[in-house]
Amino acid sequence: MSATQPPAPQSDTIELAIPCRPEFVGIARLAVLGIASRMPFSYDEVEDVRLAVGEACSHAVERAGGASAVIRITSVIDPGALMITVADDVPAGAASGPRSEEAQLLEEVGVDQQGLGALLMEILVDDVKIEAGPAGTTVRLTKYAPE
Amino acid sequence: MNLKMNSRAANETTCFLEIEGEVDVYTSPELKQHLVKLAEGGVKRVIINLSKVQYLDSTGLGVLIGGLKRLREGEGNLVLVGPGMRILRIFEITGLDKIFDIYPTEEEAAAKEGVDL
Repeated sequence: MSATQPPAPQSDTIELAIPCRPEFVGIARLAVLGIASRMPFSYDEVEDVRLAVGEACSHAVERAGGASAVIRITSVIDPGALMITVADDVPAGAASGPRSEEAQLLEEVGVDQQGLGALLMEILVDDVKIEAGPAGTTVRLTKYAPE
Repeated sequence: MNLKMNSRAANETTCFLEIEGEVDVYTSPELKQHLVKLAEGGVKRVIINLSKVQYLDSTGLGVLIGGLKRLREGEGNLVLVGPGMRILRIFEITGLDKIFDIYPTEEEAAAKEGVDL
């Protein structure tokens, strides 16, 4: 920690692992609220990030369907952007039990609940990448800092 | 991080339901249970006050849509009252503000739904 070192633009990384169960999703949202507050985001933008991460976690919880799994949330605070990765170890295409009555009702009115979550993420942050594989699903969310 | 629900009957088939807190993947099953219980008790019309809801995600939206569909099938309705800016925005960006009847106040909702207070 030399005082003569030039102040390099640095990125900080925060990692959080939670059980992939409904009661823990709120903890991830609380952490993300604090993390997003480190960025020069408006109140609305911070809330957008919180909801997008909440959606990614809910999606993981629903796919796990009660099976034991872990969600790892890695946040990289960069001067230009906040990048949050929500990775679970629920195998893609894992049997998540019978479809809920809710999901069936939604389908009847032309709404796909997972589609609703994905739509929200797309609108709330600047970039969304979803990779689903046998080892699990990874959702990468990026929100750029205002110019 | 909890959900509080308070319902009161307006008349035999109409009920006001005030929700307070966060409606998410953890708490939305409770909301669903509550709506099912009301419907089973003969309630056809539910006026949900969202003014104290701080967080609502797609699972909460799912429960509200499910409730709306069930009640409308019974020629009733599920209407929403007083969502804050954040919550209203979620309905707007998903286009669900066109499916739900959303009113600023309970009085207005009751009047439009033909409920005598």
